[in-house]
Amino acid sequence: MSSDPAINVTGARQKRSSVLQGLVSRALARNLSCLIVPGPEVALAHGLDVSATGLRISTTPRDASVLLIIGELPEKMGDAVAVLYAQMPRPRAVLMVGAEAPSTLPGADISSGLSQEELTEAVGRLEHALAEGAFADSPEDFDADVLHASIEYVCPMHPEVVEDEPGSCPKCGMDLVAREAGESTPEDGHDHEHHHDHEHHHHHDHEEHEHEHEHCHDHEDQNQHDHGHDHEHHHGHEHHDHHDHEHHSEHEHSGHDHSERDHGGHDHEGHGHGASGFMSMIEVTKDLPRSADGLQMDWLEVPFGPVFPGLPGGLKLTLTLDGDGVTEGQATSLVGMTTDGAEGEGSEESKEMDAGTFIEHLSSAMPMAPVSYRLLACLAIEKAAGLEDDSENAGTRNGALERERIASHLGWLAQVGRQLGFAWLTQRASTLQLQVRDADRNRLGELEPALRALGTRLERTPLLKSRLKGIGILPIDSSDLRGPVARAADEGGDAWARLWQRLAEISASLELIRSSGEPELPSLRDIGDVSGTGEATVDTPRGEARLSLKLERGKVKSYELDTACSHHIDLVPKLVEGRELGDALLAVGSLDLSPWEVIS
Amino acid sequence: MTIAIVLLALFGSAWLLAVIEGWITTGRLSPAAPLYSGLAHLGRESILPRSPDRVFFEAAPVLLLVVAVLGMAVLPLAPDLVIADLGTGGLFINAALAYVLVAVIMAGWGPDGAYAMIGGWRFLGQLIAYSMLIVMPITAVAMRAESLVNTAIVGSQESLWNIVYQPLGFVLFFIAAMALAFRAPFDLPTAEGELGGGVDAEYTGVRLAVLRLARLTLVVTLASATTVFYLGGWYGPLLPPWAWSLIKTLAVAVSMLLAGRYLPRIREADLMRWCWVLGIPLALVNIIIVGLLILVVP
Repeated sequence: MSSDPAINVTGARQKRSSVLQGLVSRALARNLSCLIVPGPEVALAHGLDVSATGLRISTTPRDASVLLIIGELPEKMGDAVAVLYAQMPRPRAVLMVGAEAPSTLPGADISSGLSQEELTEAVGRLEHALAEGAFADSPEDFDADVLHASIEYVCPMHPEVVEDEPGSCPKCGMDLVAREAGESTPEDGHDHEHHHDHEHHHHHDHEEHEHEHEHCHDHEDQNQHDHGHDHEHHHGHEHHDHHDHEHHSEHEHSGHDHSERDHGGHDHEGHGHGASGFMSMIEVTKDLPRSADGLQMDWLEVPFGPVFPGLPGGLKLTLTLDGDGVTEGQATSLVGMTTDGAEGEGSEESKEMDAGTFIEHLSSAMPMAPVSYRLLACLAIEKAAGLEDDSENAGTRNGALERERIASHLGWLAQVGRQLGFAWLTQRASTLQLQVRDADRNRLGELEPALRALGTRLERTPLLKSRLKGIGILPIDSSDLRGPVARAADEGGDAWARLWQRLAEISASLELIRSSGEPELPSLRDIGDVSGTGEATVDTPRGEARLSLKLERGKVKSYELDTACSHHIDLVPKLVEGRELGDALLAVGSLDLSPWEVIS
Repeated sequence: MTIAIVLLALFGSAWLLAVIEGWITTGRLSPAAPLYSGLAHLGRESILPRSPDRVFFEAAPVLLLVVAVLGMAVLPLAPDLVIADLGTGGLFINAALAYVLVAVIMAGWGPDGAYAMIGGWRFLGQLIAYSMLIVMPITAVAMRAESLVNTAIVGSQESLWNIVYQPLGFVLFFIAAMALAFRAPFDLPTAEGELGGGVDAEYTGVRLAVLRLARLTLVVTLASATTVFYLGGWYGPLLPPWAWSLIKTLAVAVSMLLAGRYLPRIREADLMRWCWVLGIPLALVNIIIVGLLILVVP
């Protein structure tokens, strides 16, 4: 292998003497698949065509060798990223694009700027690094707080008995059961049943694994999946967490990986294996809640996101599943902007921002619609400064806004394609999005036939209508609707109507751009050292956003932002309840939520 | 010798299919890609989930591969190029393919995870939809051949292929075969956008390599079955019989891959409803039409 000391892949695998290793390394380097964090739609919104660099886009961490992180990640995503990284098989690497690696990761193997050229060049470097350094003599151990759980032992019959060591209950003599500290005793019936199931399962496993990993003590005892209760460090785990605490089989010890455990699934799966073989189904299910169809089944609480192929990155959906049906669900954003505290109303003097900085801050905080928020900030500041409406630049500003709307709706179409496994749509819409993103007026005119053809094509696609019709119908009393979601409400208010609304808006935006000026990035006019308050509204691709702010001597003292997504995210529980899983996810997807635009 | 040739044809086709799949998805035609991909899988860790049902988890990919190979064993590539020309060949392939369900449920149960488990149960639901549409069209094919011997079934199509004689049966069988191979748009058990990979999601390294190979091989076996039952097997001008069998098999397999690219994933409830409300009556109609044709046309 190479003696070049510069090449060092933190996620290298334990080296073993093998003639094949060199060959395998090169094969690995030619076959890189990446998991994009927060999601492929963010890459597209930044104008990055990841598959053009030669990286294959993977949908699961299990199938990825590169963790491709795009842009600055909010702190809340740190744990999720650590879990994803732990789930990736070695050799693995981290590629940071346009930001520093989050503190929960061992650090970036390769960094790159936010441009296609830099990314392509960085992928080249990464391939080289992996070809040379995929296997190391002493691979570094990866560990993060989120991967740990402290274990305590409780009596299944006497919740007050909690010990640090395994043993038997002083009151009844039963064997104590391991659980993660912080969990409280399950209160409702069905959780309790799970608990029993786990015991059987757990003991069985215990023996089996102890032989495999004799040198690693105690981990098996943490094999408790019964995380019935959310606790703090479980936030933000992505779609694979339920596997948690994985172990590497005996052939696969590489380094110290078996100390890894990425728990955090709140789901209760696994309650079945080998359990209750001697119990009748009636007995097992008698205390369980009844489903809509009258069957009593186990309910699983399963996290989807914040990095899930069918959902926008940064959105975490927690669904309680009853088989394939959703009984309840809720959505939270892990990347949303916070206006309270440091940045918002009532902030300290030191936090006040220069007007130009504020505009940059706001537009970079909204990667899914940076132009809209840049325009919004410009308008609000100009208003606060008492400037008249800018008729001169209005055309070019609107042009830029409408161009972003087209690109954003195309991005949504690509996302729908990902959700539906409709590969053609994803590819076509992403390609168009990348072309529209910085097209000028002439180029947009050239792209117009292709954009219109997309609608015709979708109209003719079999199965699509039956898939979308009737999905995600919003209750009539939902008054908080904005943007395309609101405008589609009259046409049936389902995912199918939203699809056609967005396609119609693409056409309308093309018309607007033709009659307005050349799209140009909005820039702030000179405002001087003025003070005042101002409010502005912009119809972003996802609906109306309102910004009111207070200027003091040309600096933004405080501001208040109200976005469509902050309201739309509250619709999620109603949309998913009682739906089949696929339909529920599609309904959430049809809202086109941008988790960044969820203000908390 | 026959065994070696048939296996070579099976895995060779799977190889070609992998190359074509890569070509379709990335736009790059690279004949060595499957080799690199396989080597890369060998180089990766094969992670065992936290508390797997070890037997199920390990056995599922292997079982799926075995099923595909077993199915291929009774399908002739040429009159004398068949591993076992069983008297009950048409029935045997059904029996073999039934284990696809077993393998998928094992893969769903094995890793002890919600996504995989839902994927496995979804496939059980899917079985109820497609399984009758595998059996009933084969019934009509066997009626025409008056035999369940697969070489005799091909022989019965010498003058007129079954795709022309019983087009309805072909359409139903083709759709059911795609559902059985759980390829898009019938990929409910793996559904990336819904289950993050479902039954595939927890496999890594060598195990994933076996699973991928098994899934491709299964497509080849089903395409070969479609060729034998409907496309006149080895019949064709100029080229040797085995070449025709392979060309037709590959064409069917590629069309299975392509169809999924241009269609959204079907809803589980719709699949079930259409198969029962529409598919099964149509399959019966097909049997009646074929029966009448046999009686009327000498």
